[in-house]
Amino acid sequence: MKLVKTDPILHELEARVMWHAKNMGRTLPEIRFFILDRIEFASLLEKHVYPTSPINMWEGKRMVTKKFKIESGQESSLYYEVVQTGNPSYAYLNNTNSAMTQASVMAHVVGHCEFSELNVLQDSNPDRTEYVMHLVKKVNMGQQQMGEKNYLQFWNAAESVIPLITPHSQYNLDRSVEDDTFRFHETETEDLAKPAQKMMKPFSHTMDVLLQHDSLEVVWKKEQTKKDHQEQISRRGFRLRQPCQDILGFLRRYAPTSQAEKAILDYLYVSHASQDFVIRSQIMNEGWAMYWEKKIMLELFAEEAVKGIIDYAKVFSGVCSPRPFFMRNPYHLGYHLWNHIEELYRDGKVDLEFIEETDQEKKELWKKPSKAEPLAAMEHLVRTITDYEFLRRFLTSELVETFHLNRIPKFYVNRIGLNKDTIIRDSEHFVWIDPELVKGEMLTFFTHFQRPRIYLVDTDFIDGGLLLYHRDDGQKLRKDWIRPTLKNINFIWKGAASLATGGVLYTYSNNRLAEKTLPETTFEQVLERMKKSEKPINA
Amino acid sequence: MVRPSAFGYGLIIKVEGADNRTVQMQEDKINSNESEGVFNDFVDEKISDMLDEVLTEGNLDNLGDRGSEIIIEIDDITVPTFTYGEEGDGQGGGGQGPGTEGGKIRFNLPFNKFMALLAEKLKLPNLTKEGKGKIKEVSYEFKTFGPIGVILDRKRTFKRSLRTSIGVGSYDPAHGKYTVEFLRRDKRFKVPQRVEKPKFKAVVFYMGDISYSTHGQRLASEKRMVNFIKNWLDYNYGARNVDHRFFVHDVKAYEVQENEFYQVGNIGGTRAAIVFDLIYQIAFGEYDTATTNYYGFYFGDGEIFGTDGQEIANILKENICPIFNRVGVVEVFPSQWSKLIVELEREFAGDGIVRLNRYRSNADTIVTIKKLFADSEQAEE
Repeated sequence: MKLVKTDPILHELEARVMWHAKNMGRTLPEIRFFILDRIEFASLLEKHVYPTSPINMWEGKRMVTKKFKIESGQESSLYYEVVQTGNPSYAYLNNTNSAMTQASVMAHVVGHCEFSELNVLQDSNPDRTEYVMHLVKKVNMGQQQMGEKNYLQFWNAAESVIPLITPHSQYNLDRSVEDDTFRFHETETEDLAKPAQKMMKPFSHTMDVLLQHDSLEVVWKKEQTKKDHQEQISRRGFRLRQPCQDILGFLRRYAPTSQAEKAILDYLYVSHASQDFVIRSQIMNEGWAMYWEKKIMLELFAEEAVKGIIDYAKVFSGVCSPRPFFMRNPYHLGYHLWNHIEELYRDGKVDLEFIEETDQEKKELWKKPSKAEPLAAMEHLVRTITDYEFLRRFLTSELVETFHLNRIPKFYVNRIGLNKDTIIRDSEHFVWIDPELVKGEMLTFFTHFQRPRIYLVDTDFIDGGLLLYHRDDGQKLRKDWIRPTLKNINFIWKGAASLATGGVLYTYSNNRLAEKTLPETTFEQVLERMKKSEKPINA
Repeated sequence: MVRPSAFGYGLIIKVEGADNRTVQMQEDKINSNESEGVFNDFVDEKISDMLDEVLTEGNLDNLGDRGSEIIIEIDDITVPTFTYGEEGDGQGGGGQGPGTEGGKIRFNLPFNKFMALLAEKLKLPNLTKEGKGKIKEVSYEFKTFGPIGVILDRKRTFKRSLRTSIGVGSYDPAHGKYTVEFLRRDKRFKVPQRVEKPKFKAVVFYMGDISYSTHGQRLASEKRMVNFIKNWLDYNYGARNVDHRFFVHDVKAYEVQENEFYQVGNIGGTRAAIVFDLIYQIAFGEYDTATTNYYGFYFGDGEIFGTDGQEIANILKENICPIFNRVGVVEVFPSQWSKLIVELEREFAGDGIVRLNRYRSNADTIVTIKKLFADSEQAEE
């Protein structure tokens, strides 16, 4: 691992890339470039793009497998760019790449770093890499306290909960859990339920009660509920107001853990939390990076700071090659969508006048400069929306066709179980399906990311046990993994762990898994019951 | 401004002054060695469990060829999570431990590693030549290649330099550029690697009685033990340094090829002493007794006649024991007329060189091996 300044050629390229980026008005954090060899690169990826990590068997397994694959030629060790955003950002270059590739990597990193700074999910934070390194140190100290066996046991248990990290969910920790430390953010539903004028009144609960003329029974019930909530917070330190999808976040904060155990949960949470941001903004993010990469690279080629424009064009077209919608290529889709959006703003096709125009011929030839500066408008989009809205707003049926998202190789038709009625035309090698369906499918992805939606709905289910609820997406959970996963949650929570899924309640407690049928309960029913401070599901 | 941006983990970055920033970096290597170590320990544990099974069942048939790698299969492991999908073939795993996915992980286990684990399990000692120290000696060979060193590897350095020159455009025959730049980072040096080489040679004499019918269980048991002995001595001395020689006898003794050792058969009289005498003649006549380690293993039904037992005891005591490291006499599926060990026990019970054992069932495989190779105290257990 070397600093980029130790290589004069790369150091010069870095200076040129940063100069162009600043000249183009990019909002950038400090970016530190390092050069790694191929095994270091592989290791960095297994450490989730942080230079250090605590000892764990899973990283070891992945690295042993990866080394074998690299050495036996089954896997390429050419990794183009890896960056840990934040301020400062840490970007890593592979020492086997050519100068042209290194320049393109740096330019690409510029895009990612800016996106991280500007985006609506506020991904960038100060000293992220340094903080994770600090947590690694804490975990290593904790390992000494716990002893190797207990450490590995707890780590392995915590690994099971990593997919249950969702800091950007509608049901994240801040919105779902109320405690005496963290300020509760009102849910949108509750905001809507309250008339606006009531917000203007000076707060006086007694006066409200008197003015509302509620019956004594209602007043008593309200007072009792309020008292229950306060007592619950006072007794347990927290109260679940609505389902909480950020389950590792919850365990990290409220599970009865030792300092060493908490350090493990903290490390795993912090080092994996940004994946939620990535999955919600990958198309915009990669598209933004490709957009700026190309702009900067063209400048570098123009000033002859780097050579090989034909090779670059080949690599670029390879990275941005179209794929069917279910194998979405975020580089391709994002890059072309950003170009399309730039064109929309440049030609004034987002103005009301254009939308109200009924003559199709005029619309096609439309070219009236918009009042909005295209680049400023694009930056505004970065600051305000994520992939879901990006696709919903800008991906039209015509673009689905243009980007070949609905073009599917014939050998995939049976494999993905494609309904033949959706095919609108075919050729020797491909079939094309209805573009409207494609857009719908792509948007549906953002509701569940093709993963089970699991919520924590009760923290006092069976003798202080946790109750998890699997929201029905039409698929069943892998049954043989329910037991070990619940066992791991039980190990962290140190109390019973239950899961309600598909009309069955699984409870793991005292080294035993119990199964019980339950009446089907919808997510909406769970929400409603929790809102009324009732038990979401009765055992 | 000083930003304490690292916490003592190799990566040390010091940033000073808001305008005039200098970055100092302690070079370090990103690696997963410790985590790989934990995983390897886990695999070792699994292999150890597997060895337990092998040893319990006494099945040592799959040791592979001399020096070859042994393919080990263990259940694949993965983190159990709530996920969609069909049930795997395997169970859901061990709670806090890893879950199994139903698949298998395959490892090529080096023969030496396998034998080391087996030796550890069987509590077998390192073999030494008395008075000559360890049977392995350490030397250094220039095998690996690194960025620093004394002996430049010209071929590798040139290949790397050429690649860099093509990358930076200084070597571009299409445009008449033929400059190959030799940068420091492209240099590759030969680095010495510590290697252990066997210091001594060994010869092993396998003796078999063909006067009884060697087939079925007897044949399989003999094969199993001979196979283990071969592998164990190959592991200790290096496959190239061990001579394995096979002898059979009825009323005469003669040398045979390994495959014939298990094939020949004869019914009639027998005299075992002559085979012991023959191997002594060969050991003394064909090998240098100062640098050769001698091993002899006799397999038979133990049915001897006349003074055969006493003659064997004499040969062992007077000729063989002074120069042999170890002699094993095994009665394979002995009968009520088996007397060889009874006679030899008078002289060699608890002996450090001559080891005696009766093999009555497959479960005795491990007991026999332990008795043949363990230290004196362990052999007494």
